[in-house]
Amino acid sequence: MRNANGYGVIIGPGGVVEEIDTFTCCHCNGIVHVHAGMKPDELGSWCTLCGQMHCAKLTCRTCFPFEKRMERAEAVYRAKKS
Amino acid sequence: MANYSVSNLGAATPAQANLTTSYNTLIETHAVTTPRRLAWYEFEFGIDANPGNTDCSISWDISRTTGAGTAGSAATPNPLDPADGAAATVAGINHPNGTPPTYTASSNLWSLGVNQRASYRWIARDDKSALWVPATSNAGLGIRAKQASGAYASTAVATVYFQEQ
Repeated sequence: MRNANGYGVIIGPGGVVEEIDTFTCCHCNGIVHVHAGMKPDELGSWCTLCGQMHCAKLTCRTCFPFEKRMERAEAVYRAKKS
Repeated sequence: MANYSVSNLGAATPAQANLTTSYNTLIETHAVTTPRRLAWYEFEFGIDANPGNTDCSISWDISRTTGAGTAGSAATPNPLDPADGAAATVAGINHPNGTPPTYTASSNLWSLGVNQRASYRWIARDDKSALWVPATSNAGLGIRAKQASGAYASTAVATVYFQEQ
């Protein structure tokens, strides 16, 4: 995967090493493993608004950037605290 | 922005709980009084006892939490740069079975089943790729594991690296 967002490595029995590229969903912040040969629609899709990959969850097909989710949670927290 | 690490061995007497057929939390991080955004940018885990005689897999999961539960021990996050101050984030480790943090349903950010003899490491490329927690009280992340068949019923070790903003 070009420009992978992350890197995972499984060191299995007998020292077998499996390296995996990952990306982080721009909508839910979940990690997706990208195995060689995976079909693109198994991974998710490209969000043209965020300019990043999102995962294949149904709820992530609608653009709601994770940054905005955090800002909303923090605004609610500040409002309740004040 | 300071970086910290926390391990479920990071206490004077870490009382590791054995894995069971239901999830057992190894590390949970959250903030209470002065919450800051925190991001897990690296984690690793594996078992630290003799593998079970019957080959089996262990299910690992990272999910969002809204309550700390009752940890076996409190662990002070270790600043990776000694010049950094103490973290605002609180870590709980080795939750005894039956007193887990409050996990948000269907909030798992990552889950994987790996052989009991395997270990795993994940590293984010940059802060945009990390696992973020908003700066709200008690919001956090937890890493937990279970062994569905009961063939491996001993302990595991996990380490998390996170950044506070």
